[in-house]
Amino acid sequence: MTIRLLSAALVAGFLAACVASGLQLALTSPLIREAETYETQSALPAPGGHAALRANPLIVQAHAGHGGGDEWQPAAGLPRLAFTALATLVSGVGYALLLGAALVASGRGISAGEALRFGIGGFLAASLAPAIGLPPELPGIEAAALESRQFWWVATAAATAAGLGLIALRRTPVAVAAGIVLIAAPQVWGAPPAPDSVSLLPAATAAKFAARSLAIAFVFWAVLGLGFGWAWNAVARGRAAPGVGSA
Amino acid sequence: MVALTRTLSPALAGERLGAVLMAGLLGLGLLFVSGFAPTVALHNAAHDWRHTHNFPCH
Repeated sequence: MTIRLLSAALVAGFLAACVASGLQLALTSPLIREAETYETQSALPAPGGHAALRANPLIVQAHAGHGGGDEWQPAAGLPRLAFTALATLVSGVGYALLLGAALVASGRGISAGEALRFGIGGFLAASLAPAIGLPPELPGIEAAALESRQFWWVATAAATAAGLGLIALRRTPVAVAAGIVLIAAPQVWGAPPAPDSVSLLPAATAAKFAARSLAIAFVFWAVLGLGFGWAWNAVARGRAAPGVGSA
Repeated sequence: MVALTRTLSPALAGERLGAVLMAGLLGLGLLFVSGFAPTVALHNAAHDWRHTHNFPCH
């Protein structure tokens, strides 16, 4: 079962990464590159403004890293796209493993349809719920300290996933009530607030990026779910008929 | 660990539990590397992915 789970996750992660990488290349990478031109402009010491930038050492430190210091970063063009695709693949396999673990733990029959339902749950938990408090942001937009945002992100994703699991799998009134509380709690608590700041980045570009980011995440999760359900059954068929070869 | 086995379905034991735990830990490890690791080189390599998929980034 372990081999079957790992194999299906590799296949699903690869398929989702291929689709998501193509979409990122076409839809979000151009916006990130555009935003970075504004970021280098705003990184210059501006007279008067950027009080928040000075007040928060974490932000200054991290942005200094973007200004072309000694740290390694992939070269512009193809290497950068390749590393983005690699990160997408690593994350795709990672998310597929978690999706598979949840599916197997649920004890339900794993079909493509069932896996798609779990994939949509993954989108709601890991993409949509954190985006309510921390909308997808382009480089150069000021935000709260990194650690506090990462903590809220992880807590929100975990609580939303647990809440959805209770609502969709247990279905008793108490479980549904507990699920709703789990989903609402991080949003009521609230994400770390972003400092007020002025950016040269056009608002339309930022809005476009947020919408495209969520759309790509939805496609990514849908392919991940469908791919996992398909591969899970394909691996079993491949084993039953050794001549066919395994997925 | 005890709490985890109790919340999962009763039939979840032995091989299934092992598969779930292994996939879960491996998945979390991969996501940490691509989405959260503070190492500058990892951050820069995964930068565009982190922004697009809304991982908190610099």
